Amino acid sequence: MSSTAAAGTLDHHIDPTTSTGIPNKKLLMWAFLASDCMFFGCLISTHLIYRLHPPPGTPVARQVFSIELTSFSTFILLMSSLMMALAVNAIQKGNLKSLRWSLLTTIFFGCIFLGCQVYEFRNFVYEKHLTITNSILGTTFFTLTGTHGLHVLIGVIWLSAMLIYSFTGRLTEKDSIDVESMGLYWHFVDIVWIVIFTAVYLLEYI
Amino acid sequence: MSAPATTAHPSGHELEQSKFWIFVQIAMLLAVITGLELVTVYLPFMKWILITALVILSTVKFMFVIFYFMHLRWDRVFCTILFFIGLILAGGTMWALLKLFGAEASTPPYSTAAEPAAMVLRVA
Repeated sequence: MSSTAAAGTLDHHIDPTTSTGIPNKKLLMWAFLASDCMFFGCLISTHLIYRLHPPPGTPVARQVFSIELTSFSTFILLMSSLMMALAVNAIQKGNLKSLRWSLLTTIFFGCIFLGCQVYEFRNFVYEKHLTITNSILGTTFFTLTGTHGLHVLIGVIWLSAMLIYSFTGRLTEKDSIDVESMGLYWHFVDIVWIVIFTAVYLLEYI
Repeated sequence: MSAPATTAHPSGHELEQSKFWIFVQIAMLLAVITGLELVTVYLPFMKWILITALVILSTVKFMFVIFYFMHLRWDRVFCTILFFIGLILAGGTMWALLKLFGAEASTPPYSTAAEPAAMVLRVA
């Protein structure tokens, strides 16, 4: 599946210096993401298992969740993924100005997503009286979405650090693998949310 | 998706240019699929049909993100294999756990009579 870039242009998908032809940083990130799949797989399973047999007194998820807010968060995260893809595209072309704008927009969307999550959690705790300790739904829900939120927060910090680094003048087209690895992480956060949105939220409305 | 008409393969620069529009189009498609998912849950169909539709829609979104945004389409196939090993292991674990805990024998004794006994067991 390698690209067929013409001779003389920099092919960002192949590194001839490694035995696999894949840049080591990218390989490391893919291995990490594969392991993170298992981590989130277990958290999602735990939530679904407890939803199979809700104990008496468990709050009705449908009455607690706000599908409008969650759909908005999903849309925001998808758009942040687009901006991240454009940031990688920009650094691969050596376009630092475009990279900075794309990173800034991704950070902005990431912060909106986090803001929505904080609002949602606050609403659940204070308005719907669903906490991490008072029901099994609360425990599995807050653990799963909280862990995802933590991943988003780490992503936002990483993006911010990269944005600041881009102003030092040391970030060039040759370092595009650093931005690409960060992009892989950010897109992973997005695909985990795609699964959570369906498995945790939408299934409750059927 | 401005595919060059004069050459068999796009050059590196043309590929990067066309990627921009591919990404934008895919993002729009993902937004539309998310809207479809939302509509799906309110459709008056049987539960299994709706669940199947949701699983298919989210799988399509998932695949678009990993193959285009995460560049698997253009990367070495080893990256795809590596990621899918994790994905299959995670999916297999999820399937096994859901089957195990979905079985009738796994139904917890939540009846009001059984609850004090369960409490005693937990305390012990």
